[in-house]
Amino acid sequence: MTETDIVGRWTSAPGGHDIVTGKARYCPDIKLPGMLTGKLLYSPHARARIKHLDVSKAKAMPGVTAVITHADIPGENSYLYGYPDQPLLVVDEVRFQGDALAAVAAVDERTAQAALAAIEVDYEVLDGLFDPLEAMQPGAGQVVTGQDNVMMNMTYRTGDVEAALARADVIVENTYRTQWAEHAFLETEGAVARMDEDGVLTVWSSCQAPHRDRMQIARALALPESMVRVITPYIGGAFGGKDEAHVQIHAALLAHTAGRPVRLIRGRRESMLTHVKRHPFIVQCTTAASRDGRLLAVKARAIADAGPYSNASHEVLNKFGEFIGGPYTVQNLEVEKIAVRTNNPICGAFRGFGAPQAAFIYESQMDELARKLAMDPLEIRLLNGVETGSRMYTGVEIREGRGMKASLQKAAEMIDWENRDRRERQPAGNLRRGWGMATILKGAGLGRGLADHAGVLLEMHRDGSLVLHSAAADMGQGIITVMAQLAAERLGLEMDSVRVTRADTARAPDAGASCASRQAMVSGNAVLVAADEIRDTLLSLAAMKTRVDKDRLDLKHGRLLIDGEVQEMTVQNLAERASLWGYPLHAESRFHLEYPEVADKIPYRYSSEVFQFCTQVAQVLVDCETGQVTVERLVAVHDVGKMINPGGVYGQIEGGVAQGIGYALSEELVVDRGHTLNASLENYVIPMALDIPEIEMHVLEIPEPGGGPMGAKGVAEAPIIPTAPAIRNAILDAIGKPLHQLPMNPERVLAALDG
Amino acid sequence: MTEMNIHITVNGKSRQLKTTPLATLLSVLRDDIGLTGTKDGCCSGDCGACVVILDGRVMNACMVLAVQADGACITTVEGLAQNGELHPLQSAFAETWAFQCGFCTQGMLISCFALLQANDNPSREEILTAVSGNFCRCTGYQNVVKSVQLAAAQLRTLNATTQVQHD
Repeated sequence: MTETDIVGRWTSAPGGHDIVTGKARYCPDIKLPGMLTGKLLYSPHARARIKHLDVSKAKAMPGVTAVITHADIPGENSYLYGYPDQPLLVVDEVRFQGDALAAVAAVDERTAQAALAAIEVDYEVLDGLFDPLEAMQPGAGQVVTGQDNVMMNMTYRTGDVEAALARADVIVENTYRTQWAEHAFLETEGAVARMDEDGVLTVWSSCQAPHRDRMQIARALALPESMVRVITPYIGGAFGGKDEAHVQIHAALLAHTAGRPVRLIRGRRESMLTHVKRHPFIVQCTTAASRDGRLLAVKARAIADAGPYSNASHEVLNKFGEFIGGPYTVQNLEVEKIAVRTNNPICGAFRGFGAPQAAFIYESQMDELARKLAMDPLEIRLLNGVETGSRMYTGVEIREGRGMKASLQKAAEMIDWENRDRRERQPAGNLRRGWGMATILKGAGLGRGLADHAGVLLEMHRDGSLVLHSAAADMGQGIITVMAQLAAERLGLEMDSVRVTRADTARAPDAGASCASRQAMVSGNAVLVAADEIRDTLLSLAAMKTRVDKDRLDLKHGRLLIDGEVQEMTVQNLAERASLWGYPLHAESRFHLEYPEVADKIPYRYSSEVFQFCTQVAQVLVDCETGQVTVERLVAVHDVGKMINPGGVYGQIEGGVAQGIGYALSEELVVDRGHTLNASLENYVIPMALDIPEIEMHVLEIPEPGGGPMGAKGVAEAPIIPTAPAIRNAILDAIGKPLHQLPMNPERVLAALDG
Repeated sequence: MTEMNIHITVNGKSRQLKTTPLATLLSVLRDDIGLTGTKDGCCSGDCGACVVILDGRVMNACMVLAVQADGACITTVEGLAQNGELHPLQSAFAETWAFQCGFCTQGMLISCFALLQANDNPSREEILTAVSGNFCRCTGYQNVVKSVQLAAAQLRTLNATTQVQHD
């Protein structure tokens, strides 16, 4: 690959000007003529039968334009992420605090609130199921009538685990518990819906999957998809929490009923009570090794509390199982994945899809093995780490795996791992310092057997400016910048000559969801394919004009180059010629991420093909009197394949680590019999500016040939994954006591010290 | 509900408004005046997305009743650029990727703008303290520190030049 001019270089974000001036419009900023305020009614109970629901008083109130219940939904009354078991508006029973009963649209916020208060509901409060272990038992009663509480129970086996355990020299066996975690995207879920004059229902949606939204809206309203248009305005973060639909279908139903535009925005408390959480897991894990430190077997039984409905539970548990062996060459592995319905908060996608829970477990196990074997944590990881060509326990052969050991070695070097014992371990009577590491791999992309593709549409105008239509939602992660850079690079344009339209299903082809670190790969590659088509047209015209062979021509910074020499002729001149003579300067392309077949093995279901590697090392200080843990240093080394947009990559790493520190030490939704007790940003404790050390970041670029543009393999999910186990292992190093539960808050650290 | 008249000056523009006793300054700015750059992230004073400068003090607009702001001078993100030219802090934020989704950005900008008015050469610690009430879930705070220091250096050069010209 030749030297790049725009890819890999710092560039301002398209849209950055709008953000810093306050002009960028997010869903709550959209104001349309005649627009109403939408609101949803939720149950105060975690589980109750609805004996009677009367909306007549609310309907009769002045200023109230629409009140709808399940009976008013023209199409299907369900969400559809994978399995349609969650109603949009409940029929006869609420099954968790986030189940909605009715939706209203009124002239203003106050009237809408009053309308909700005027809805009469007669509840029969029922005993809920709040413990997944209890809910799994026969005769426990059903959370969703007609559906088994065990919504998923799948076991994957490879090798011979029992034989390996029998011959192992060292075995570590522990039970781990993880917590409900909240995305806390700063912009809560919201949507604005309007019936257009031509009968098209337009919905502005703060979402990750505009085409899936369109399908769901059409399905609920019994409209053809051709009559539904979904647009994403600016989006204030998502992290998986806006992957499944939230209020966009309700906003559409209200606008359709009211005949006027409706804006429906969740308040913070409502947001925290309703959208999916990171699954809490209970995992028994056994890890075995030989005397010389070779991993022989991993056996895990994972029970996840899914809440009442399926949402992304299958996907999350599948990814948990795919990564529970870690980035290691272990060949005997058994993982049992069980998802259980309860009346607790609903769980689903959150940055990493089950991989953070898995990493907390396998990396904790590695350090306990190392201690038993009196090995260095770095040494045991290097000994067992995957390489290029390694066969994973999933059956997949790692095409490019140098990043695993390279990230370990670089991170160790940055923290001066080998000399850590020369540093002060007890700076004061009650303070203990320690160092811990964690290394992970995470598949980028949806997985084998799933439709993993994206399309884009590019059009160059006669003045050489380019418009790029993509339906890949940009929630802040920066896919718009990445696509603009790639198009500019290939077509020899400056960044300000490229305009990327925010996702709009009426303009751009389906790009799938912005999740699983996939868009830079799939949409990125689609941009290259389309841009190359236009580039070829421009260069053909240039070759005709200059009588120089096409392969000697290039486009850079708006100019034609011959053998690397800048010419008078510009991209604009070429675009003008193309336009004049009718050569097409638009191209649509679709890129499919490939999942090749694996020889002599059926690989793990939905297994990945492209792997991100990263290692993080934490230095912590534990106050043994208070149990407080301070992260003093955090080194993060990430192999991203190819860094396209450095601003975005470093931002993703730092932000992911910050989320990881919260997940490790303080973030936990406290749920009592289905009721979330800390549904506010005050009481759900997230680390802020003064709580996070300066993250010491290093990016490795080892191109992945089957990945994205120029070997890129995405970065979004990996940074949050190793942080909690790195901190956990540093605490173990500091106090000599292992913790097996997240978050590692002062109470749990003190309990470990006492234990 | 009782209507009340208030007078506030927002970004240098004087405004007479009718409001209600329970309306927040945030809702007046966003809904009545249409300055939607100021964001609503929690409406409980915990996230800092609605930070404005009110008579020289950095405040969460969701925690101030509109009637309490009667007579006050308020600066919002829309008031930072002068005559269409970005404040150096705004350019620095955009250039150094001090944001991803941008929803916290206006609050960060206002907190940092107020800091720079009081301190023309803030340290990392001082900047982090200034934004300690501004929650960012996407990016963290390192590039905010970088941006503020970059803007501070530019402003010092600018002021030195102005000084020389005046001398």
